[in-house]
Amino acid sequence: MSQSTSSTYVTAPRPDETTWIWLVKIVTGPLLIVLLIVHLIANHYVGSQPSGLMTYEDVIHYFQNPIIPAIEILFLATVVTHSLIGLRGIILDLNPSRTVLTVVNWFLSLLGVFSVAYGIWLALSIASQGR
Amino acid sequence: MDQTRNQPSARKFLSWFIPVGRQVGGWAFALSRVTAIGLTFYLFLHLYVLRLLALGPGHYDEFLKLTENPIIKLGEWAVVAAVFLHGFNGIRIVLTSFGVGVTRQKQLFYGFMIAAILVILIFTVRMY
Amino acid sequence: MVETWKITLRVYRQKENQESHFDDFQMDVNPDEYVLDAVERAWAFHDRSICFRHACHHSTCGACGMRVNGVEKLTCITPIREVTHNGATLKVEPLRNFPVVSDLAVDMGPFYRKMEAVGARAVLPVTEAEIENPPSKWDPDDSQYIRLSDCLECGLCMSACPIMATTPAYLGPAPLAAAQDQGLRRKPELLSIVDCEDGVWRCHSAFECTAVCPSFVDPGRRIMNLRTQVVDMKLRKLFGKA
Repeated sequence: MSQSTSSTYVTAPRPDETTWIWLVKIVTGPLLIVLLIVHLIANHYVGSQPSGLMTYEDVIHYFQNPIIPAIEILFLATVVTHSLIGLRGIILDLNPSRTVLTVVNWFLSLLGVFSVAYGIWLALSIASQGR
Repeated sequence: MDQTRNQPSARKFLSWFIPVGRQVGGWAFALSRVTAIGLTFYLFLHLYVLRLLALGPGHYDEFLKLTENPIIKLGEWAVVAAVFLHGFNGIRIVLTSFGVGVTRQKQLFYGFMIAAILVILIFTVRMY
Repeated sequence: MVETWKITLRVYRQKENQESHFDDFQMDVNPDEYVLDAVERAWAFHDRSICFRHACHHSTCGACGMRVNGVEKLTCITPIREVTHNGATLKVEPLRNFPVVSDLAVDMGPFYRKMEAVGARAVLPVTEAEIENPPSKWDPDDSQYIRLSDCLECGLCMSACPIMATTPAYLGPAPLAAAQDQGLRRKPELLSIVDCEDGVWRCHSAFECTAVCPSFVDPGRRIMNLRTQVVDMKLRKLFGKA
């Protein structure tokens, strides 16, 4: 950070790898639209009944095709990333201190990893129940 | 001393959602933010509920009976509405962030919101 | 015959160590005069303790920014006719997000410091300014001609921005617009100031700043453009071309 300009600051800006975080958010946005459409069509137009996946049996059967858990996991990872980055942005708007922000970063990262891991476990567990 | 009263403060976060003295952009911001928070709640709730699928037959179908409740139905509609409002507003943000349509961003917002309302209406008819 | 309206001017009052309140002044005004004229008249003929800022009276200095009926306006160019009607109330309050010094005057210090930190230019060569219908190629002699920057540093945008309301750390629309105006390619030292969480990434595209700017700066557009400049600079660094 250049010396002369930062010394006139009332509050110093917090540099971070924010360009990339923002890029991830803005790329996951449109990606989500595509994946959401796929998810909705899948859940409401396939399956044994005209209104889509309506019972436990339907879901298990649907998950037998390996591309389905793959797409669902991709969808989950994308939506969790987008949602948690957005949540982080809202918290940043509240001007948290450096310490609070570090805690928030850790918490959200762990929550994100845990959610996706849970999703992978769930998808595999559902798929395996069809055997 | 009251000098601090007009200063920016985290407590003013309520002003995000009550766009007093603001114009349409303030409403767009509030809408996106409210739907974002709402959809985040829904996301984690949905993930939690889906664990019933892993518990074997019976549990999930039991749960599905619960979803016949009209309050749940209203909630489902709210999620659909929130998705479209947030999504279309998001497209506006993506476009303006890359310099497309910035000089006409107000019209963009109106256009997208009308489109969102239309799509929500179509979905409402199909859902009920 | 000059048209006369009877209005109630409701002025926000706050002096040191006192609770804020509103004072009402019944006035006869010419509706084609400006809100600033009404405030001045209240000061001159009703209450000499009203404190407010004003200077040029022609939208060049940026001193007279206030909230009129809740909306940010430059009061020297806001006709009374535009914001109220005969027999109604006209409310004036200070700008949001700045500490109030006295009544309608706020402390613009932190804001000016931010403008200084990004090296905001008050005058710039016309070859670097954004003007309508510029020539496709400037004559090298043309850079001797200078132009006043559009930004008046009036602070209306800072008041209208929803993010400024909750965090003073955010640079704000006017400083970011001033940074964009100079261009990151020309002044790469600005990159570390704007490419951070409290810089260009804190904006949520509400465009309230553009909506209230009295001087065609369009800070919203400039912030969006600044983002592409930042991404451009970072990609160049990544691929070693900077």
